[in-house]
Amino acid sequence: MKLYLWPRSLATRTALVLLLGLAIVQVAGLTIHALDRMDVQRLAQARDLAVRVASFYRTIALTDPGRRPTVLADLHRGPDLTAALAGSPPDVDMPEMPTPEQRLLRVNMSMVWMGAPNLRWREMVIYGGHPWGKVVVAMRLPDGEWLNVRAKLEPLRPWHSPTFLVAFSLMTAVAAVLTLWAVRRLTAPVRLLAEAAEALGRDVNAPPLPENGPTEVAVAAVAFNTMASRIRRFVQDRTELLTAIGHDLRTPITRLKLRAEFIEDDEQRGKILADLEELEAMVSATLAFGRDSRAMETVTSIDLAELLRTILDDAGDARPDVADRLTYEGPSHLTVQARTLSLKRALVNLVTNAVTYGGAARVRLALQDDRMVVIEIEDDGPGISPAEMDRVFEPFHRGEPSRNRETGGVGLGLPIARNILRAHGGDVTLANRPAGGLRARVTLPV
Amino acid sequence: MEPTPHILVIDDDREIRDLLARFLEKQRIRVTAVRDGKEARRAWLNGHYQLVVLDLMLPGESGLDLARWLRGQSDIPIVMLTAMGEDTDRIIGLELGADDYVPKPFNPRELLARIRAVLRRAGDQADVRHDPAVRGYRFADWTLEPARRRLLNPDGVEVALTGGEYDLLLALVERANRVLTRDMLLDLLRGRQAGPFDRAIDVAVSRLRRKLEDDGRNAQLIKTVRGGGYVLAATVDRL
Ligand SMILES: Nc1ncnc2c1ncn2[C@@H]1O[C@H](COP(=O)(O)OP(=O)(O)O)[C@@H](O)[C@H]1O
Ligand SMILES: [Mg+2]
Repeated sequence: MKLYLWPRSLATRTALVLLLGLAIVQVAGLTIHALDRMDVQRLAQARDLAVRVASFYRTIALTDPGRRPTVLADLHRGPDLTAALAGSPPDVDMPEMPTPEQRLLRVNMSMVWMGAPNLRWREMVIYGGHPWGKVVVAMRLPDGEWLNVRAKLEPLRPWHSPTFLVAFSLMTAVAAVLTLWAVRRLTAPVRLLAEAAEALGRDVNAPPLPENGPTEVAVAAVAFNTMASRIRRFVQDRTELLTAIGHDLRTPITRLKLRAEFIEDDEQRGKILADLEELEAMVSATLAFGRDSRAMETVTSIDLAELLRTILDDAGDARPDVADRLTYEGPSHLTVQARTLSLKRALVNLVTNAVTYGGAARVRLALQDDRMVVIEIEDDGPGISPAEMDRVFEPFHRGEPSRNRETGGVGLGLPIARNILRAHGGDVTLANRPAGGLRARVTLPV
Repeated sequence: MEPTPHILVIDDDREIRDLLARFLEKQRIRVTAVRDGKEARRAWLNGHYQLVVLDLMLPGESGLDLARWLRGQSDIPIVMLTAMGEDTDRIIGLELGADDYVPKPFNPRELLARIRAVLRRAGDQADVRHDPAVRGYRFADWTLEPARRRLLNPDGVEVALTGGEYDLLLALVERANRVLTRDMLLDLLRGRQAGPFDRAIDVAVSRLRRKLEDDGRNAQLIKTVRGGGYVLAATVDRL
């Protein structure tokens, strides 16, 4: 069975369970308290009734039988007490009083001093009780006459005191608030951990978690930080290795380029130089990937609109065949703060992809909420299959069709672009357009 | 005929030194190649050079220190070989007064083109030679910073330039109020762009005008000279 109302958040769940527990405890406590209170009330009522009825009886019993009706009429009776003399117990439509109650009444009555033992009632029947709101006590006087007393019974009131309920609700409310607060505090570290994991996913150099708080939380934070530093170490080792290889390749590539100049065969020389160009581009991309843009550059202002148009101009100069499919749409000036060389590289990578794989690059720039700029780069190519979508951001991953094509890429364009944009507090996402082609969407804080 | 220029090549890799010397000599440039700062100083004292090609990544004494030393000796043009993508090296080098840089691994023909361009600038027009002390040129509230190869608008915001646009603007700024002939501009843009150079120049100029907010039809900053050529009509302050 699925609980549709069962909340998804741990905090709400815990709070709900705790509040439910609290409610049960409170209801139980309240019930016990009420039952107790009713017992006390019953006891007091029984004693009170017993004293009143017994003293009534005593007065009548002490009176001469002939004068009894007069005395009875004169006797002061409370509004809730009536009495009559009769030859038998009265006819009542009520059964006898339940035994425990009756015993209580009898015990209490027998404790009232009658003046003389022979004055004691010879027989007594008790009808009614709380369910009927009244009680009838029929007592046989020593001379055989019956005195029938009817008394109203006040209903038992478990919630008699008005302050009691107020205090009780207040207590419950305070406990509930405390519970909610404690639960929020307790689950906060879980949320922090999730946020830290998310930040780590975006940037391996994200700041570590604070390692304080309750033991369990501190232990989890330490474990998390250790894991993060291992990942960082791993990424660093790999990039250092790549960078070292890249640096070492520079000298042989330079030599080869020089040697190629001594090859007489023009065609062969051209081909060798083209191969070397490609090799160099790979090394250059690898080095760019290994570089931490934040360490290399400071933030300055740049006109993003002009930068995008310049990138498109460059792309058009390099590929005159697609030049008329490179368009810019947006404000003619828009200043952002950025590490300009890195930002340019990121945007160049995206535009180059659009031109290489999509034969076009339609760039749109817009300001969103005055805090973010959005750059969309669309092309007319095949797009990227859903299975590939995530993988294209992996270093050195190239799409199946591109691998065989002579595009000269190494699969670092997108990872580099994403690293740079994320280091700027922005991001890049890809989506296939319904009309075909790919749309790269870049966000960047102003 | 021009006299054969003599240049000093400083690179720690013997093969590169030899190959580069052979390559440049084939292009009728005399080369003395040395491997480090010590040899360079000795060669410097024993010869007379028109240009230095300096690898910044030298063992022992760093290329930057050597560049500083050379600058102390004379204002001989320096072309630096920088580690690809190491922008800081390049910027420091250019601020130190190097005249140009070529990232390594370099394309020999591009290096040759740069050497020739720098030699021509140094030889033909001593008055506009790259002045190492210049951190920037200010004209009509715009600033061009050679070390960072960037253009700042009057508000100090960078306005991106393509490589060709930058070279063109630098040439115009360095020779402000003097006409640059098409031939000179062709030299500048050669190797930068594909396609017909003639058109490339016009395109680059019109883009530059747009970026400098210089109305194309009634250009005030970059004026077209009848008979082919352009001139930057502005006072240029060196910063
Ligand atoms: N605009 C695009 N259209 C279709 N496929 C693309 C596009 N951009 C990138 N890709 C795919 O993503 C892969 C990775 O791109 P990238 O990281 O730039 O590396 P490279 O371009 O060197 O292959 C490419 O090989 C290609 O298969
Ligand atoms: Mg790519």
